[in-house]
Amino acid sequence: MTTTIPPTTTLAARAVGASKIYGTGDTAVRALDAINVEFPRAQYTAIMGPSGSGKSTLLHCLAGLDTLTSGHVYLGDIDLSTLSDKEVTRIRRDRVGFVFQTFNLLPTLTAIENITLPLALAGHKPDQAWLDRIIDTVSLRDRLEHRPSELSGGQQQRVAVARALVTKPEIIFADEPTGNLDSRSSAEILGFLQRAVEEFGQTIVMVTHDPISASYSNRVVFLADGHIVDELLDPTADAVLGKMRNLGGE
Amino acid sequence: MWKVTRKGLAAHKLRFVLTALAVVLGVSFICGTLVLTATIQKTFDDLFADINRGTDAAVRSANVIKGDFGNDQRANVPASLVTEVLKTPTVEAAVGNIQPYAQAVDKNGKAIGGNGPPTFGLGWDPNPKLNQFHLVVGRPPQADDEIVVDKGTADKGHFTVGDEVTILTTKVPKKYKLVGIAKFGTVDSLAGASIVLFTPHEVQRIAGVNNEFSQISVVAKPGVSQTQVAEDIRKTLVADGQTQYQVITGKALTKENQDAVHKALGFISTALLVFAFVALIVGMFIIYNTFSIVVAQRMREMALLRAIGASKRQVLGSVIGEAVVVGVLASAIGVAAGIGLSIGLKAVMNAVGFQIPGSGVVLRPNAVIIGLLVGTIVTIISAVVPARQAARVPPIAAMRAVALERPINRFRRLAIGGVILALGLLTLFLGLFGSSGISFVGLGALLMLVGVFVVSPLFARQLARVIGVPLTKFRGIVGSLSRENAARNPRRTATTGAAVMIAVSLVGFITIFAASANASIGSAIDQQLKTDYIVTLKGGGGPGGGGLSPELAKKISGLPQVAASTPIRLGAAEIGGSKTFLAAADPEAIPQLYDFNGVAGSIANLAPNEIAISTRKASSKHLKLDDVVSARFVQTGLVPLQVGFIYRNNTLAGDYIISLASFERNFPPQDQLDTQIFVKLKPGVSPVQGRAAIEPLVAQYPNSALKDNAQYKADQKKQVNQVLVLVYVLLFLAVIIAFIGIVNTMTLSIYERTQEIGLLRAVGSSRRQVRSMVRWEAAIIALFGTLLGIAMALFFGWAVVRALHDQGFTKFSAAPFSLVFIVVITGLATLVWASLPARRASRLDVLKAIDQN
Ligand SMILES: Nc1ncnc2c1ncn2[C@@H]1O[C@H](COP(=O)(O)OP(=O)(O)OP(=O)(O)O)[C@@H](O)[C@H]1O
Ligand SMILES: [Mg+2]
Repeated sequence: MTTTIPPTTTLAARAVGASKIYGTGDTAVRALDAINVEFPRAQYTAIMGPSGSGKSTLLHCLAGLDTLTSGHVYLGDIDLSTLSDKEVTRIRRDRVGFVFQTFNLLPTLTAIENITLPLALAGHKPDQAWLDRIIDTVSLRDRLEHRPSELSGGQQQRVAVARALVTKPEIIFADEPTGNLDSRSSAEILGFLQRAVEEFGQTIVMVTHDPISASYSNRVVFLADGHIVDELLDPTADAVLGKMRNLGGE
Repeated sequence: MWKVTRKGLAAHKLRFVLTALAVVLGVSFICGTLVLTATIQKTFDDLFADINRGTDAAVRSANVIKGDFGNDQRANVPASLVTEVLKTPTVEAAVGNIQPYAQAVDKNGKAIGGNGPPTFGLGWDPNPKLNQFHLVVGRPPQADDEIVVDKGTADKGHFTVGDEVTILTTKVPKKYKLVGIAKFGTVDSLAGASIVLFTPHEVQRIAGVNNEFSQISVVAKPGVSQTQVAEDIRKTLVADGQTQYQVITGKALTKENQDAVHKALGFISTALLVFAFVALIVGMFIIYNTFSIVVAQRMREMALLRAIGASKRQVLGSVIGEAVVVGVLASAIGVAAGIGLSIGLKAVMNAVGFQIPGSGVVLRPNAVIIGLLVGTIVTIISAVVPARQAARVPPIAAMRAVALERPINRFRRLAIGGVILALGLLTLFLGLFGSSGISFVGLGALLMLVGVFVVSPLFARQLARVIGVPLTKFRGIVGSLSRENAARNPRRTATTGAAVMIAVSLVGFITIFAASANASIGSAIDQQLKTDYIVTLKGGGGPGGGGLSPELAKKISGLPQVAASTPIRLGAAEIGGSKTFLAAADPEAIPQLYDFNGVAGSIANLAPNEIAISTRKASSKHLKLDDVVSARFVQTGLVPLQVGFIYRNNTLAGDYIISLASFERNFPPQDQLDTQIFVKLKPGVSPVQGRAAIEPLVAQYPNSALKDNAQYKADQKKQVNQVLVLVYVLLFLAVIIAFIGIVNTMTLSIYERTQEIGLLRAVGSSRRQVRSMVRWEAAIIALFGTLLGIAMALFFGWAVVRALHDQGFTKFSAAPFSLVFIVVITGLATLVWASLPARRASRLDVLKAIDQN
């Protein structure tokens, strides 16, 4: 039984000279401007920055949900910009996990069905031991047959985290996963993500606005106007807040 | 608020286009029917005005049996009446005429026409005022073996002047010399009729009459009005005590002819309009559904409007306003499409030989007005309920995420649906088993369908899940998603399904009905017919009559291989005051050929003054053996007939039978034509020997065909199936609209579930999987409607066949194969058809879909 993800290279994902321009001419917006950034395995990276700085865009491009205008993004050794939509979809299904801010779950499926959705789409049987472990990690055992409408916001996000973990992806992307939650539920979710990194060797990249959320990570990358402007290792909430003041953000 | 209406329409263009399509199709059907009917009507109005142009008055027998479509039957008048009429001083000319059956045979030995417009003979009228035929080549017939044919017939048979042409009549077929070809007025043929023009003397012979006419046409002296000359003739006749005749003006005759056509056309257009309304009713469900969904999707917007001070009325008005715009626009397009459709149909009719002269179509204002009104009103009615829902939204809904979907009020639905269903059932049964007639049957069926629709959201979720069970097995997660999506909104599934249900229930019903007719006829042929061979009329005889010369039956019965044979002749008469059809056969032969399952008396010695009746009529008219009924025939007037035989089996035999001798006495000579000849071979004569003996005789009459019982059965089945196919074609539009409804619902649902689909794509579902999910959901909804439709069809079919049991519908056939076929076909068609919304869903921009902040 594997409980950790075997590394092939030391980097789970990276962007090389990644640029993304929306629109053309006068109205063109340079959301990402020749960004170089690396995400080592088994690390919990937080991305921070003012609104409109390009955080979501970066995440989407790294995850193969969007394409770059120029430059490359790699998942492991694979250059996503060379793949077809079909191949990228497969990679998303098998090797990437997602947690969004809201609307993470299909309302017609039960919690357990939502968790195993990526496996079901691939036609794979879940690894029962792994599944049990995830479910216990996010403490959802007694809610498995409930539909999302019968779950609290925090529980819904826990289901989303479990779904992100279920395929043992090489990397999990989370875009403000606790943005809609109260502080207690937030702490729970962030704790689960942290445990996933520590116990399973999971790689996580998370966008957040909240210095406390960022303090759960191993490393914070700061973005402004499409550029990487700073970086902080083993952050504390205060240190993050200090950096953000310097950047003139929120 | 008008601005809100306009913006609402603009923002939901596609949805309204799909809605409008349902209205456009229904309205174009209605408008096309009206325009085409008006065009055909005009053609015939002109035609009859032409035919009777030179006729100032007509004299004919007053003894008439009215036909349903203007094919009135009258007694003949003696030729001496012409002399009588000519006594009138204001009469310039009077010419008698008669139109017996006559059918030309082409050079390949095939009879021309006979399965539509009439084929008949006329005497060449030397009076140019009364004769509407103009020779294009040749000359009029001068000898009894010379003929002229209309140009349409000449073209069909590739005849040229000088050819020898065989003509079939009530007599032995005879070869004539073609001496001329004529146009009728300016057209090649009289509305497709095939006409042979003989000498007046020869017409008398082929009609089997001796100095008799069916009508005398009169030309008045110059300066004498039609009314005047008619009045004068009447006086002359009264003075001589000849009161059994009727004199009418040429105008009245034209009007009578035109009215008869209007009546027949009215019947056809009513039938077509019924199908158009079926299509519109199916369309109403689509419109209702679209507005419901769109309104539900815009509830927050509506709430905001209410919150900033719009009144309920204004919100209601804005939605109704959208309905008015959609309704008017769609109806206008529908009217235009309908006119286009009628032009196309006219071209088709011209191509198949039903000539409608002139290049245009007749567009009466009523076609446009009715089309616009019906389309608009239907749209508005369908939008009323959704509009009221929109108006009822609380302003607070704009601020808070209150549950906008009203919960289903189970009790109310069950109560209302139940009442409608019960009312429908009652109406249906009144129509079927009472005397209320076919419109009650239709209304009852419609009410029942509406009742089921009202109740169906109560079980839509469960039924959709059941239908989806196989999918979860074979399609895995995609199947489960389809199944849950189909089940998640029971109202939507029920409404979309209802449109399919109505279309399928009608298709299914007509299928069951035809299968039952075939089963009943088939079993009657198997069990009641004791014949070896049956000679039938090719093409079934058109409305203009036509039939087999009695000479053929005589020859067949004379064959040494034949043990028994009888011709079957059909005619209309009044029995006990009501018009009915009766059959005639040779009483001596028929017991060996047909098993009547008699209950009293005997057919074998049915005398000419006797009648055989079915047990059905015996019980409804309270008749016993030896009772006397009063019958009225055109030729002989009132005739008392004694009940000489009562029988059970009426599927093939009908309700009244008289002897051939009686038929010959009571019907005009020109109507002595057989529809069938039943033949039984002598013991020891093999079927092959029998056929070899009969075939050469049949070959001399190219309008006849020799069939054994199996072939005869197949023929009957073919006739039923032809009608079935026609009804299928007419129902096709309703089916199409129901399918549009499915696509419409799916498109709206996809729009609503953009985020879900985006999420699915984000976590790794392929485009293919998204497509398949949408398609299977559509298939489940379609099957939901189809299964309900089939259930209703089975009920309607059973009820109608049960009601018609006494009229010969002895067997009920559920047509299981056809029904399964319908289910499979709707399923497959939906899978294909739903690829449109499925593609849309799979092409959704994942980023946009998940972009929620
Ligand atoms: N589809 C788009 N078309 C045009 N411009 C876009 C599009 N998506 C994003 N942008 C622009 O790109 C820039 C970066 O957007 P992005 O969503 O990545 O910011 P963000 O850092 O995630 O902001 P937030 O913290 O508000 O979520 C912004 O200026 C935004 O306006
Ligand atoms: Mg963002």
